[in-house]
Amino acid sequence: METYTVKDLMVPLEEYVTVPLGTTLLGAMLALEKAQENYDQGKYHHRAVLVLDRENKVVGRISQLRVLQAMETREENTELYAQLKMYQFSDAYVDKLRENDRIKCKVFAEETLKEATEKPVEDFMQKPTPDEYVDESEKLDLAMHKMVAGAHQSLLVTRDKDIVGILRMVDIFTASFHAMKSLGVA
Amino acid sequence: MFEREKIFNRIIQRVNINLRDLNFDVSPFVTGHADLRQMSRFYAFYGVTTDIPLNLQFIHSSLAGSYFLGKCQVKNAMLYKTDIRGDELKRKGSTFQFKNFSIDLRQDEFIDIVSSALVKTLVHNFSHDPESPERFFIKNTLSLDYANIHGAPADGCFLSPFATVDLTTMRNCAIGAYSYIQAGRISHLNVQPGTIWVNSPGTFNFLYQFPQDRLQHYIKQEAGGKPEGALIDFIEKRAQAFDKVFDTAITSPPIPVPETASLDRYAVVLSETTIDENVLVAQRAYLENCTMGIGANAQENCYIINSNLQGNNVMAHGAKVVETEMEKNIFVGFNSFLVGKPGCRITIGTGCIVMPHTIIDCSEPLEIPPDTLLWGLITNKQELEENSIPLEELRVVHHSIQRGNMHFEGEGGAFVEGFKHRINHILESNGAFYHQHNNNIKGHAQNNRKLSLNNIQPYLFGEMEGVYPDITIQPQG
Repeated sequence: METYTVKDLMVPLEEYVTVPLGTTLLGAMLALEKAQENYDQGKYHHRAVLVLDRENKVVGRISQLRVLQAMETREENTELYAQLKMYQFSDAYVDKLRENDRIKCKVFAEETLKEATEKPVEDFMQKPTPDEYVDESEKLDLAMHKMVAGAHQSLLVTRDKDIVGILRMVDIFTASFHAMKSLGVA
Repeated sequence: MFEREKIFNRIIQRVNINLRDLNFDVSPFVTGHADLRQMSRFYAFYGVTTDIPLNLQFIHSSLAGSYFLGKCQVKNAMLYKTDIRGDELKRKGSTFQFKNFSIDLRQDEFIDIVSSALVKTLVHNFSHDPESPERFFIKNTLSLDYANIHGAPADGCFLSPFATVDLTTMRNCAIGAYSYIQAGRISHLNVQPGTIWVNSPGTFNFLYQFPQDRLQHYIKQEAGGKPEGALIDFIEKRAQAFDKVFDTAITSPPIPVPETASLDRYAVVLSETTIDENVLVAQRAYLENCTMGIGANAQENCYIINSNLQGNNVMAHGAKVVETEMEKNIFVGFNSFLVGKPGCRITIGTGCIVMPHTIIDCSEPLEIPPDTLLWGLITNKQELEENSIPLEELRVVHHSIQRGNMHFEGEGGAFVEGFKHRINHILESNGAFYHQHNNNIKGHAQNNRKLSLNNIQPYLFGEMEGVYPDITIQPQG
């Protein structure tokens, strides 16, 4: 375990689902579906899509949560909620208003679903932050610290300045589990 | 550079330093608005009466057209047509009750204005700050046209036109135009225009916010400009009547005034106006073709036009009422603007409470049932429905209620009782209940009859033009 590096566990970029900037939400979901259909033949179970720019550089990532967030069209009155908090209304009061607003907004309605399918990925993708990168030569300790500290589902693996793969939480988790099991503690 | 400019620039800098955390710059609100040449055009004046302790100190300040009553110190400040009414300040030997604290006063309270510019502002009531019971401070503060600082010590604040802060200590706050705040104490708040907030933590919390686009019709101030809108137009249309009052030596009231009522020498009274017993009409009030029933009052900057007040009606500072029938015991809050029209009159039933900063601007007749609470912007019957609630219905609210832009949380009964108690106190203070035959305590209506007024003048030439000499006015002995 101690000898493992990030490179040993990462998913190489070429094996990941990618879409170019400008792809619609539906396009990204279809790409993901296709990758999952090929799961039996492939090595990896895909839950996210990477977004590439014209130079094929990774500029964003779309997780399942991001897709759901893009679909959710309720227009939360966030400014009002902030004002109510500022004017010392209780959390319970603000939560009650928010709940009422949510009930009014239907996600699984034909019109809202259709609207969501046309959203371009750049509108809802997650842009990588500086603490989401890890070099392929680093040991798993650093990767795990970064993942936990930033609550990241995955890290972008770099070689020099290029992104060459993805290190997923599931792989770190599995490695950790095997390491503990190998201790032989009952 | 004139000395008045140095004083003013320093005040603006002090206010901006205090508001730096809010990234708030007050300069655009005074550039193009404040004309410092006006500071030498108007005399200041003060009231003298045996009922109210007098001690005035003016140091390195401009005071154009401003009025003083009671105990007040003004230092490095600029006051323009501002009323400093110290007739309700706490007295030595009295006890100020704040929650569980009984605070004994060792000296008379005084209003302490330092490094501040107040434009057409009313300062009244007493400090409700338990940390400063004997000093009602206004420091590093700028307030603009028709703002009210009512029992509200201020340090490092900006009050936009028609803003009111009531019974609240404020520090480093910017209060938007036509906002009313009564919240005990606030700090580092940037309050958007048209916010009506009445908060008694742990008991109730009331909030209404005017639709910003519609509020602009009534009051707005763009960067580098003067305040504009229907409220300003309304006042400016009647400004000449005040010029006449201030420029003329008037020796007798223009209409009969009963022995128990008072009509201030600096109020405007036009056409068919009648004043009944125990009525109080303050300076800068404007009455035109109206009846003031027993115990009704018109406080500073009130306008009552083509209207009838049946009695015991409180017209709080800056309230304006046009083409309105008011039954008895009605409270109209600060800066409210109730504008009926011929053929579209407003009728307000007994016991109604019109929240501070309410606008009723109707194009159809409106009849408001007795014992109703009103707030916000009302232009028709539908909006009246949305922006009002019967007091009995509010009394039984124990958790929360929302109507349109109004949010209320807490005990409705406490809110209603709090208002009723305060209205009663205001009527009592103003002398509405005074009766000569049962030895009742007098109020402002009776005491103000004994008020005489003196003028003071600024330097009229040189670098000090518009600045007043350092003056102390204090009776000997």
